[in-house]
Amino acid sequence: MKKPWQITCIAFVALAIFWLVVSFEYPYKDKLGPGPGFFPFWLSIITGALSLALFFQITRGKNAMEGSATLIPERQGVLRILAVLVALVGSLALLDPLGFRITLFLFLLFLPLGLGERNWWVILIFAIAGSFGIFHLFYYGLKVPLPMGVFGI
Amino acid sequence: MEALQYWIQGFAVATLPMNLLYAFIGCVLGTLIGVLPGLGPAAGTAILIPVTFSLDPIGGIIMLAAIYYGAMYGGTITSVLVNVPGEAASVITCLDGYQMAKQGRAGPALGIAAIGSFIGGTFATLALMVVSLPLANFALRFGPPEVFSLLVVGLSLVTGLSGRSLLAALVMTLFGLMLSMIGMDPVRGAPRFTFGIPPLYDGIGFIPVVMGLFGIGEILLSMEAPVLEVIKTKLTDLLPKREEWKVSTGAIGRGTIIGFFLGLIPGIGAIIPTFLAYAVEKKVSKHPEKFGTGVIEGVASPETANNAYANGAMVPLLTLGIPGSPTLAVLMGAFIIHGLTPGPFLFKERPDVVWGLIASLYLGNVMLLILNLPLVGLWAKLLEIRYQYLYPGILLFCILGAYSLNQSVFDVGVMVAFGVLGYIFRKLDWPLAPTVLALILGPMMERALRTSLEMSGGDLSILFTRPISAVLLIAAAIVLLTPAVRLLGRRAGKD
Repeated sequence: MKKPWQITCIAFVALAIFWLVVSFEYPYKDKLGPGPGFFPFWLSIITGALSLALFFQITRGKNAMEGSATLIPERQGVLRILAVLVALVGSLALLDPLGFRITLFLFLLFLPLGLGERNWWVILIFAIAGSFGIFHLFYYGLKVPLPMGVFGI
Repeated sequence: MEALQYWIQGFAVATLPMNLLYAFIGCVLGTLIGVLPGLGPAAGTAILIPVTFSLDPIGGIIMLAAIYYGAMYGGTITSVLVNVPGEAASVITCLDGYQMAKQGRAGPALGIAAIGSFIGGTFATLALMVVSLPLANFALRFGPPEVFSLLVVGLSLVTGLSGRSLLAALVMTLFGLMLSMIGMDPVRGAPRFTFGIPPLYDGIGFIPVVMGLFGIGEILLSMEAPVLEVIKTKLTDLLPKREEWKVSTGAIGRGTIIGFFLGLIPGIGAIIPTFLAYAVEKKVSKHPEKFGTGVIEGVASPETANNAYANGAMVPLLTLGIPGSPTLAVLMGAFIIHGLTPGPFLFKERPDVVWGLIASLYLGNVMLLILNLPLVGLWAKLLEIRYQYLYPGILLFCILGAYSLNQSVFDVGVMVAFGVLGYIFRKLDWPLAPTVLALILGPMMERALRTSLEMSGGDLSILFTRPISAVLLIAAAIVLLTPAVRLLGRRAGKD
């Protein structure tokens, strides 16, 4: 079970290299002293070095982290996680075009269904209260700006 | 005399009817957040920032601070009744609190936690009143090298005390610092690491990051096994019996001292004071073998330490502008959103806000006690809400909270992305707190270092030749090197 930890270390090394390359676009020094490239340059180098050190530690089995968790949840758990992620990504895509009320109505209608709830009436009341009700409370009551969408509702 | 005048001014601000109302609402919302599984104080406080948008800065900060310490108490209820800590600082309470609930003594467990929290929180607030002004005045002497070294100490502590692997914690801290590079260069004001994406010009907002890592990530984790088994128990006898009082008094006293003093150290987090308080209690107990089987001291001490820490940790935030935990980082963000910058200058520029907030902490602790003892049964009922409604409801507030910060769907995207990352890092047991603190402290740290180097003409020795800075850097080195030296010693012993 070392692989996930090793992959994470490699991802950090890759990120550090990318950050280092991008940092070359900014001056390391200027007339007044260290420039915008100074901090990212050293940060990338230290991050890359420490991530590599951690990778070797894990590979040699000398780090307390490796092999400590059951990584893959059971099938039902995976399905529930997917339902949440699909609902979140869906609302992310719809929030601007459809506005808060319709997007969150759909979100609160379909997510309980995705999580196995089948009581339609309760779901419907929950979705209306959570979308239109919360919009009313925050938008009109607390003056929190929320998206209206192309339909203006 | 100066301090006394400020205290009076603080109470005058905090006792304004609207501010009392905000503190009360904050206590209710905070307890609610603490009770709800899958929503810790950091994400909860972040989500509720929009609620304070229409309030004046003092009212908004008072409400958010009340949410913070309310959540610290709320987490106890789930620890006792469900064996699931509502927030990380209540982990240790599960050991004896849950056992007490199983024996039908959930009432006294929750009662002593409320009373201990009140005493710990109240003492810490009084101590905060005493130490904050001299400390803020002392901090005014800090120049950029001292500020940089202090930030290094804060990040070293949160790194050195996070998780099982120091290297992993260091990498997570550096990851947070790298993320903090995105946006405007804090010294020259030129865009960096923005990749032509306009929303990145303002940087990665740490509040959506906190919501993602601690809110969405936790919910995704909860989805693996979302059903909670609540212990059905009588919650009428909340006040402990005479013999329980006897053993709890000392525990509450020790928890208060441990919690407050550890709260003064930036970066220590809320978990360590509670674990230390529990360990000390076990050490001084005449029957240490009974710990973990449902002894009331095992609840009283860590719960007291928890709230004493929560108020004590306000000291570095208010006097130095350094948040000690992700939740306090969110609170610092809320200060900034309301146009206030925590730190020594705030004491000079807005004493009404600082002292009003400090006085409200005291009043909030009274409110929490009044609120929690009679309402424990109601909070317990919340745990019976079906997860099919509970989690979508929490997610709704996450979306609302993230969007309303800048009216930007991009922030919602940041929250979702960091939610996935938070889930993965939790599964792999990589610490998250260092990333959040590094993200918020990164620009301050870079500004302090670069200004120091400008002062010295590029000579790094400026950090070691100024006494305060040198002492702070030595402290940071001790924090980071101690685990490594201990590990090497153990290996040498084995060989």
